[in-house]
Amino acid sequence: MNQVTDIQTLASLDPNSVENRYVVNASHGQTSSYVPSTTGSEVASWNMYRVDNDSVESGSFSNSTYHHVLHTEPSIRTIQDGSNAASLAMSSSIGATNAQQDYNGYSSYSNSSEPYSYVSTGYQGYYSGYQQQPNPTYSQPVGAYQNTGAPYQLLSSFQNTGSASYSSTYYNPADYQTAGGYSSSSYSHQTATWNECNYANYTTQQYSSYTPDTSGTYVAGNAATNSFLYQQHYKQWADYYNQTEVTCAPGTENLTVSSTSTQVSQVPSDCGGYPTSNGPAPSWKPESSSSLTPSSQTGVMVSDSCDSYWEHLSQSFQNQHPSLAQLHFQKPLDSKSPYQEQQKTDCLQGPSLQCPAAQQTPQNHQLPLQTVQSFDARRVSKLQIQTNPRIASNLPFGLQKLDKEGSDSAVAKPAYISVSLPKPSEKAALPNDAADSVLKTGMCPKSLKSYVEMALGQCKDEKQVAACKEVMKEIIMKASNDGTLHTRDWDAEPLFPIPNANMADKNNLESSVPVSLFPKHKKSPTRRSKSRWEPLPEDTVDKLGSVNNYATKNSSWIHVNGKDWKLAAANPEGKTDVMNNIRFPLMDQKSASKIVQRPVKRQRLADLNASDNGDASSDSEKEHKLTTNYSAAITVSNTPEERKRRENRYKRFEKVQGHRAEINDFKAKNAGNGNIYVRRASALVLIKSFEDGGNRAVEDIDWDALTVKGTCQEIEKQYLRLTSAPDPSTVRPEEVLEKALTMVQNSQKNYLHKCDQLKSIRQDLTVQRIRNQLTVRVYETHARLALDVGDLPEYNQCQSQLKILYAEGIEGCHMEFSAYNLLCVIMHSNNNRDLLSSMRRLSDEAKKDKAVQHALAVRAAVTSGNYVKFFRLYKSAPNLNTCLMDLYVEKMRYKAVSCMSRSYRPQLPVAYIALVLGFCSCMSTNDGSDEKDSDRLENCVDWLKAHGACLVADSNGEMQLDTKASSSSLYMPDPEDAVAHGDASLAVNDFLTRTLP
Amino acid sequence: MAYPSMGEAHRRITDYLNNFSDAVSYQDVASLAQLFSFSSNSPPLLSVADALNFFQDANRLIKQSEKFSQYGEILAPLFRSLQSYRTGNLVDAYHAFEKFANAFIQEFRNWESAWALEALYVIAYEIRVLAERADRELASNGKSPEKLKGAGSFLMKVFGVLAGKGPKRVGALYVTCQLFKIYFKLGTVHLCRSVIRSIETARIFDFEEFPRRDKVTYMYYTGRLEVFNENFPAADHKLSYALTHCNPLREANIRMILKYLIPVKLSLGILPETSLLEKYNLLEYNNVVQALKRGDLRLLRHALQEHEDQFLRSGVYLVLEKLELQVYQRLVKKIYFIQKQKDPSKAHQLKLEVIVKALKWLEMDMDLDEVECIMTILIYKNLVKGYFAHKSKVVVLSKQDPFPKLNGKPVNS
Repeated sequence: MNQVTDIQTLASLDPNSVENRYVVNASHGQTSSYVPSTTGSEVASWNMYRVDNDSVESGSFSNSTYHHVLHTEPSIRTIQDGSNAASLAMSSSIGATNAQQDYNGYSSYSNSSEPYSYVSTGYQGYYSGYQQQPNPTYSQPVGAYQNTGAPYQLLSSFQNTGSASYSSTYYNPADYQTAGGYSSSSYSHQTATWNECNYANYTTQQYSSYTPDTSGTYVAGNAATNSFLYQQHYKQWADYYNQTEVTCAPGTENLTVSSTSTQVSQVPSDCGGYPTSNGPAPSWKPESSSSLTPSSQTGVMVSDSCDSYWEHLSQSFQNQHPSLAQLHFQKPLDSKSPYQEQQKTDCLQGPSLQCPAAQQTPQNHQLPLQTVQSFDARRVSKLQIQTNPRIASNLPFGLQKLDKEGSDSAVAKPAYISVSLPKPSEKAALPNDAADSVLKTGMCPKSLKSYVEMALGQCKDEKQVAACKEVMKEIIMKASNDGTLHTRDWDAEPLFPIPNANMADKNNLESSVPVSLFPKHKKSPTRRSKSRWEPLPEDTVDKLGSVNNYATKNSSWIHVNGKDWKLAAANPEGKTDVMNNIRFPLMDQKSASKIVQRPVKRQRLADLNASDNGDASSDSEKEHKLTTNYSAAITVSNTPEERKRRENRYKRFEKVQGHRAEINDFKAKNAGNGNIYVRRASALVLIKSFEDGGNRAVEDIDWDALTVKGTCQEIEKQYLRLTSAPDPSTVRPEEVLEKALTMVQNSQKNYLHKCDQLKSIRQDLTVQRIRNQLTVRVYETHARLALDVGDLPEYNQCQSQLKILYAEGIEGCHMEFSAYNLLCVIMHSNNNRDLLSSMRRLSDEAKKDKAVQHALAVRAAVTSGNYVKFFRLYKSAPNLNTCLMDLYVEKMRYKAVSCMSRSYRPQLPVAYIALVLGFCSCMSTNDGSDEKDSDRLENCVDWLKAHGACLVADSNGEMQLDTKASSSSLYMPDPEDAVAHGDASLAVNDFLTRTLP
Repeated sequence: MAYPSMGEAHRRITDYLNNFSDAVSYQDVASLAQLFSFSSNSPPLLSVADALNFFQDANRLIKQSEKFSQYGEILAPLFRSLQSYRTGNLVDAYHAFEKFANAFIQEFRNWESAWALEALYVIAYEIRVLAERADRELASNGKSPEKLKGAGSFLMKVFGVLAGKGPKRVGALYVTCQLFKIYFKLGTVHLCRSVIRSIETARIFDFEEFPRRDKVTYMYYTGRLEVFNENFPAADHKLSYALTHCNPLREANIRMILKYLIPVKLSLGILPETSLLEKYNLLEYNNVVQALKRGDLRLLRHALQEHEDQFLRSGVYLVLEKLELQVYQRLVKKIYFIQKQKDPSKAHQLKLEVIVKALKWLEMDMDLDEVECIMTILIYKNLVKGYFAHKSKVVVLSKQDPFPKLNGKPVNS
């Protein structure tokens, strides 16, 4: 909503507004490294932005719940309201459960709300970008800065995400994830691409990432209260408005400067947030772990990093309060207490603390609070101003709506907000209409906006900005004169602006970089969409275009991040933060580039939808339009015009392909991190490149033709289940795998780590169709390790593979494993026919093998119930037979004791039981084994007691088993590690405790 | 073989077609069945096959007359199958035969009465045999043999046609037995369960109304399943039923039944006469029986080892292995009798050392703990009545019936 309003305002401003934006963008661009990336990407993002808004509307429409809301409150269109509603919805959903869960479950629902949050975040990011302007150093500040930059783009992306999420409602949760990725910028991107399938992880990750990007607040919101975050966002928005307005106003440049400076203060806070975000990022990498404890970690992190930010937020929040009373109301509903708490903590920590680390700019840090306050004040005033005069029409709506919304359910509102957005945009759009579809109403401004932003984003310094502005003005004027302003597809336009920007800008590298990514992206997204997540084929087409835009953005980001990262590392201030940041940047770069692809698709869709929807919303007959628009959007996507646009975009990217090398360099640098995500993403890209039309489903790929020859030289690699064709650059060739195997074999790390490594080795082997002795050794190693810790499922996987491999005549420890197989069948399958057949399969040679003989003897002992023999065999077991027997020990002991209690009279010494049932480690009598004896006695006594045996002490004080009494009292206790789902090995915590020591 | 002349070939084929259409119209099952019975290798069939190979356009003959063309779907694949069968291309023969069988089933479904059951039996049998041979051919060519599986699913379809109510139900058991044969051969015994359920839960149709030969076969296979499950009383019941109802002249069948019934009876404590083993050439059980009689553990183990492959294949290995406990019981019982002769008053106290020594003589090297464990197991399984006194290492036997006989009951497990 906010975004929309902003856009609208801008649109209304027309040239001025455009210029203002330019300025803003320029400032972003100025941030230094950001500029290049931002330029290309930003433009796209901006376009997307608008589209997103539209899409948001459409999205809301699409959602049934949303529809309802719309119906009930069609009139409510204030941006603020919208935002509030969104925030409310978000808070409600999130507040109830973890962000992850909400997202997962709700997908569509959350999406609607999410877009909102995203938008807000985007705004914040925008802000940060602003701040950056004044201080180029900012961008340097480290990963944090980069992040901010990311958020900035995210703004656009966010909106896009909004739309994306939107589309996701239609399409899938995957979209949603991508959206998240957007918001978080590099972060989210990474996560999104990776997870793809893992919703839960995604959601959490995204959120966390969000928080960092937009501001610590968001994270906090996840942890404690989303509403809070939202509010903060709002504030930021307000700020944004102010700023934008200022810039727009007459002074433009001057004003912008001032605003930027003020914003800068905010920026630091943001940066602070960033570092925190970084904190969570590491957690992300573990994936599961992060997802598990996202709330706590993120919360903490956020609080720390975001302290400054929080303050800002709080201040801004207060500021907003006056302006947006309703917003406040909603907030309380969600959860004020957490918010306050967070604020407190933040205050205590001091905003500056984190900021310094993250940000290099000293100015901000030193006077963060004051600046912030002042800013807040400014913002507030500005906000009000904006709302009243410029947004005028919009604001009133918003206010009214806000009031209404207070009563209304939060959920419904978000959609609303999105819907309302289009109207303002329409008004503003008049001059700027961009896309054909957009033409109808307010949609246009978005694309144009984004366009402008991209152009500005390219600028690195003020000069460039100015130059860029000039160019843009010309273009826009031209367009308006031609009457093509509306008709022109600004999203597709980038080609023009880029050259312009380039002319103005001296930093073409980054912009070019993004382009290089494009080709890949295009294909990948379409593929993706088609193959699994997207039911609508048409959508995919649309998405392609959007994807491209995105890709550019992302790519630019990546570059930026990389630079920032370096800078950060270089900076002494960043020390603490740097650590976090470093990881982030790496992650971001890789992930971002790859992840972007999906979001792009969605954006595309969103755009289309948005355009259609925008009209509808403006008409206020949203209900009908929801459906109609959607369909219309789809059709639009298929139109020849659309295709042309797409083609243009593709071409654009082709030009830049030369830059791909750069990207690769980045990858190489980052490779050290061993980011699975990145590899994954790159793999995806490759796959896509294989496709011809990009329309082929993943399932249709000719895998035989893709048999990969790995080129990755890293020895260590995390396992990630492939969901697409492997990328040779992430697959290790046989020599490296050999090293990896020896590394695992010699590693002192715990089983989980080794298991992960081995799985990745197995994956690489499978992917490259390597079936030789190395393969056998890998599986054998893994099987042994799995046996060692009792991980039967993993063992079974290995065993079944080994069976095949041995059958192919590949040499290995065949005997050893046929012994294991026998033992497994004996003790666990309890199927006589299986046992018979596996016994029959044993060759004479095998029967002479020590391990096999042992296994056969164990079988005999088990079938006859000969516990003495069993435990003797247990002690003399070769290889890892013991481990398998371990799994049967409990049963055997119980059987033995029930047999004893029936057969012995009157008593049986516990010492004897302990001896016979293998409670001691050594049967032989060692002189110094008294202690051991007593130990094992105790163990035995404990065990017997746990199983309901009656123990008595005889005249000598020796413990005796009262057999008669025990015979009726024995029972098998419930296993302590029993789990509700029946498989204790699936209980992660238990598994960890068992294996970690 | 000399090829027939053109006219001769034409005549043979037309005769075959006439036989078919006559059999159908007169509902003459016997002659109909003959037309399908490839594996009988009857001269008339072979001559028709030769004629078909010589006279390439048999389909024209089928289409010539309305009489034949209405069964074209049945006859055309049948001819093709016969041709391939004659030339030894069994895989093609199977394919064509399956097509023919499907068409026949379709026709069979439309016949109200069950007059053609016998022909259906022949088809069910032939398709199984043909599939087995086709699989052998495939395996020898290095291809994966899967025709038997296909035959299995076809027979399931046939079973579905027959298993409903009505006169055709009588044929269900025959098809079931063919299915059993396939499943046992393929080792997919678990698939039997659904068929068994549908046979045994049908209250409408008394099991006794099925043909005797099917009942025997059915009981034989279900008895074998019970042996796998070590459900000895049930296995005993089923196999005994099969034995008593089996045609006494079919010695091969009796032997097959006895192969499973003897181990089952042994584990229930019932020993066969040596003459029985000799009569049916089941001497692999002889030593097992002797070991049980003498309490000779060593002999049992030798016997098991000697015929391990055989026992493993037939699936009785584990059953026989469990006889060990009975052998121990016999051994202890013998010791007890000897003691009783020496000193009746102390006979019920068996010293562990004595048992260990006895086992030593049998070259069974076991120490005290292990033998003690075996004694407790004997007591636990109720093969020996009494208790074990750990302190004095003595088995104290009950004065009443210290070695209870199994008498047809399985060992407690």
